[in-house]
Amino acid sequence: MASDHAEALVRPPRMSGGAAGWARENLFGTWYDAVLTVVCGTTVILALLFGLTWVFRDADWSVVSALGGRFVIGQYNIVAACPEQDCFWRPQAGLIMIVFLLGMGWGVARGGTARTAAIVVAVAAAAFAFLPYGLDEMGLDVRILLLACLPATALGWAVATYTPLGTPRRLVIMGVVAFVLALVLLRGVGWVPGLEPVSVIYWGGLMLNLLLAVVGITLSLPIGIALALGRRSSLPVVKLLCVVFIEVFRGVPLITLLFMSQTLVPLAFPEDFPVNSLARAAIIITLFSSAYMAENIRGGLQALHPGQAEAARALGLPGWQTTMLISLPQAIRNVIPAIVGQFISLFKDTTLVYIIGMLDVVEIGRVFIQGNQEFLDNGPELFVFLAIVFWIFTYSMSYVSKRVEHHLGVGQR
Amino acid sequence: MTNGKEATEPIIVCRDVHKWFGDFHALKGVTTSVGRSEKVVILGPSGSGKSTFIRTINRLEEHQRGDIIVDDIELTNDVRNIDAIRREVGMVFQSFNLFPHLTVMNNITLAPMKVRHWPRAQAEEVALAFLERVGIPEQANKYPAELSGGQQQRVAIARALAMQPKIMLFDEPTSALDPEMIKEVLDVMRELATSGMTMIIVTHEVGFAREVADRVIMFDEGKIVEEAPPNDFFNNPQNDRAKLFLSQILD
Repeated sequence: MASDHAEALVRPPRMSGGAAGWARENLFGTWYDAVLTVVCGTTVILALLFGLTWVFRDADWSVVSALGGRFVIGQYNIVAACPEQDCFWRPQAGLIMIVFLLGMGWGVARGGTARTAAIVVAVAAAAFAFLPYGLDEMGLDVRILLLACLPATALGWAVATYTPLGTPRRLVIMGVVAFVLALVLLRGVGWVPGLEPVSVIYWGGLMLNLLLAVVGITLSLPIGIALALGRRSSLPVVKLLCVVFIEVFRGVPLITLLFMSQTLVPLAFPEDFPVNSLARAAIIITLFSSAYMAENIRGGLQALHPGQAEAARALGLPGWQTTMLISLPQAIRNVIPAIVGQFISLFKDTTLVYIIGMLDVVEIGRVFIQGNQEFLDNGPELFVFLAIVFWIFTYSMSYVSKRVEHHLGVGQR
Repeated sequence: MTNGKEATEPIIVCRDVHKWFGDFHALKGVTTSVGRSEKVVILGPSGSGKSTFIRTINRLEEHQRGDIIVDDIELTNDVRNIDAIRREVGMVFQSFNLFPHLTVMNNITLAPMKVRHWPRAQAEEVALAFLERVGIPEQANKYPAELSGGQQQRVAIARALAMQPKIMLFDEPTSALDPEMIKEVLDVMRELATSGMTMIIVTHEVGFAREVADRVIMFDEGKIVEEAPPNDFFNNPQNDRAKLFLSQILD
């Protein structure tokens, strides 16, 4: 018995000990390892040295603070857009709705990543209230509405925890309602005093990118699924339509499609065509992304063992239930990395709307430094800042997707 | 047990069933019938059409000529007939085909809830009863990948049984299993056979066939070449092809 026990405790051979041992093993194992280590190490240290020196000593970050709120909402609040009124509170109300929903998500999910997301966003938003601007540049009302994100998150959490609204389905419904409400608020309603319409040509900044990304992400997934299923359909007409749609939208550059949406539509339709330029851009981005999404999903469907659908059919499940309950859940789970990759790509592609004259977060910065003599040399600071902003958003998506994969046990079962 | 049971009124009737895959003639006029609670074992070399044949019975493969009548319903292109037959015919596959994204419990309750419209409580009760019958009630909340091959196949049998079918088709149910797991699956099938279920089993397990089958059918090149009770089939095969095949698998 004792010998059995000893046998069970045999350990793998230990590597030579300590950091020095690890370095000798992995960094200086052979002479070319050593050369590579020295060259790469020197490069990294020099890059860090110059980079940090520039960031903390040479760079003049005043361009970022000078742009201020325009990063977030573009020209939404300029006099031409909002004559004789202050419209800044409208996008802020949208932000409060977002953090309220995130708080609800926290309550519905009972913690986890949803809690992290809700707290991080609310705290970050509230922190902006303490930016060192004068009260004339950033009013007390703006700061109060930013601070209101904290109670709004808590309220969302409480609503989800203590009322019957706290189910995933109701959360989704409330999300759609809030999105429509936010759009109405931003657009304005003619006959309501204090809610004078703001033309979409003034919408801009990060708000514009996020708006386009949210529409694109939430719509391109279902449309892509429908296209993928259509492409695998046994009905020739459905299949042909889906193939043509996918190949056309994948085959033409997004920038061309965006340009066409603005120049061709007015030629083809009467002048009072009801779909405004922003909506047209959103539709184009959504459809473009759907075409890629369809191929991602189709790849996931093709990777499934045919026995899965056969087993479902043999149990008597009708075709559509086999697709919805067996094939699609597995296919989507398997291509989460590709789907999130497409979401990230879509988010970055929203910056292309500059081609149709919209001042998204990148374009508003570029226009600003070109129009202001004193900031002409501050391009690097501006674009480094924008890169960091985009990285934070895309890395968040990546992180959430990693958590979702973990939660679904992808690769384990 | 092995030999004496007479086929009563047939529950499956096949007349001159033909099936082509492209130009390949997979089934060349199969005619046979299976009685209620009869156990039929189908043997034959690979590629002989035995799997294709049992897959035509629940329309996983479409036959292009001839008639198949299951439980008085004729298999046609009418989707209602196909769905009606699939509700009465359970199938167990060589590769288990459990749904990896669902727990064992949900694998079993899915079809009763979606197809038979049972409430969840009833479906779970039945599922647990069948899991007990196949000997693994404690695995109900695991995912298929956490189970051994033998356990997965037993879940697959429970999943098919939960729909309370009149007929069970087994398509080489032990061929993907390690030897020590084959027995646990065959034991479940033996128990099922004694309960009076109509069973059609494609297998290479000769011992099982001798013990459980009322009739053995041998396929070769898309045709039935020998059809006899197991004693006659194994001890005194008539057809040369059957003799050769038996000499290869029995040595």
